[in-house]
Amino acid sequence: MKEKDIYVDFDAHKLVFYVEKEDNSYGPIISGSYLSANYLDDHWMKRKNLEEQLRNQVIANEISPIFYYMTFFEMGPKDLAIRANMSMRKLTKTFKPEGFNKLRVAQLKLFADIFNIPVSNLFQTFLIKDDDQEKIEMKQAATDNELYHITIINLK
Amino acid sequence: MDYNNNFEHKMYAHCETGTLVSLLNNAGYKITEAMVFGLASGIFFGYLDTKVFSFPTFIVRSKPGEVRKNLSKVLNIKLKTFKFKDADKGMQKLDNLLAEGKVVGAQVDFFYMDYFPQWMRVHNNVHFINIIGKEGNDYIISDSYNREIAKLDQSLLKKARWAGGNMAPKGFLYYPEKLNPDVDLKKLIPKTIKKAARNMLNLPLSFIGVKGIYKFADKLKTWSKQVRDIEHFSHEIIKINILLEEQGTGGAGFRYMYAAYLKQAGEIMNSSVLNEMSEQIMQIGDDWRNISYFAAKIGKNRDLGEDRIAELSEMIRKQGDAEKIFFTKLKKVY
Repeated sequence: MKEKDIYVDFDAHKLVFYVEKEDNSYGPIISGSYLSANYLDDHWMKRKNLEEQLRNQVIANEISPIFYYMTFFEMGPKDLAIRANMSMRKLTKTFKPEGFNKLRVAQLKLFADIFNIPVSNLFQTFLIKDDDQEKIEMKQAATDNELYHITIINLK
Repeated sequence: MDYNNNFEHKMYAHCETGTLVSLLNNAGYKITEAMVFGLASGIFFGYLDTKVFSFPTFIVRSKPGEVRKNLSKVLNIKLKTFKFKDADKGMQKLDNLLAEGKVVGAQVDFFYMDYFPQWMRVHNNVHFINIIGKEGNDYIISDSYNREIAKLDQSLLKKARWAGGNMAPKGFLYYPEKLNPDVDLKKLIPKTIKKAARNMLNLPLSFIGVKGIYKFADKLKTWSKQVRDIEHFSHEIIKINILLEEQGTGGAGFRYMYAAYLKQAGEIMNSSVLNEMSEQIMQIGDDWRNISYFAAKIGKNRDLGEDRIAELSEMIRKQGDAEKIFFTKLKKVY
């Protein structure tokens, strides 16, 4: 690929590419990500739809929050099972509300760590309406008590 | 920031090669990223369909960690490595090494690198970073994918180093201990080229090397039966672009970087044949790039009917043909 053909103007996501330079040498250049520049809107839309779809399934008691986060973060079940120190059989049971309801707090904490969320987020979702996104910001801060997070909601 | 001020942070195409090049260059051993990749025979292909992943996927480089191991063996350099069962001891060891003024390479789960936006981060246990210092509760990180030096909270670094799961980092750390200034690249290059060609042509597994490219072309036609819905299908098809272009490959699934290696190798060996081979793999890279663009386009347009997927499959199969010819020729150069 010629150097001139690879440049993409997208400052938020830069990557290193190897190209044929003008002096015919091959070497690295830094350019914006083609995909991020052109396809991020589509990505956001799909993420939003998937999140809503999964959330509705949790609300309808069809899937557990474990299945929700595993699917949302695109984790393979075998990988999640190893991370959670569980057999695949045992993990699969937690994908349904009945199995999830039997998990101990220590196991929930382990899953929360894997998904990098507060434990409490396995039982709740905070939604900011689209119209309010620019006015409100929300942060969830860890405390010295590893099971206890503080959710701070601010007007921007 | 409290860190080794002599350390020069730079962006590189790939995290494993970038971390290694950075460590070596900062230790005074000058080498390029393409040279590291090529000497380690890093070019590869594999189609992977296992429950470790949420969906079938493919790799375009050798197993993570192999570049480091192969380079160390080929150049006869000693890299001091550590793994830890006890996370607290592993964090203490890191602090001790930093206190000695060392820059330390580490294997981490990319998901916890919160200096990148959330949408970029996925669970991937084989991300490599250099840790160059500590300031309060934050570690100072040189990440090849980041333009600037970043900070990472110690609790996140701990999670990232002991993430568990497939290819768990187990707190892995490394740094160059002994370098070898007397390297005869003219002797090494032919061996590394032969090894790369063998890996692409002769490994006896149906999903590896050129056979893996053909498998990918075939299996792609069955993806429509494995997806949840059209948006999921679109996402997985666009991921072909991500895996080839965006996940630290230097473009075209490392084929461009390998072209740069062959070009440098050609100059060192004074070989017009290697120079010609570098041009050929650059062309093969361009064709991979066309596949990336095509996949992104049909994914976004939800143009994912049987005919369109068959078209994409055929483009990939042709890449199998092209790489088979290329690596067969490359194997015969020396």
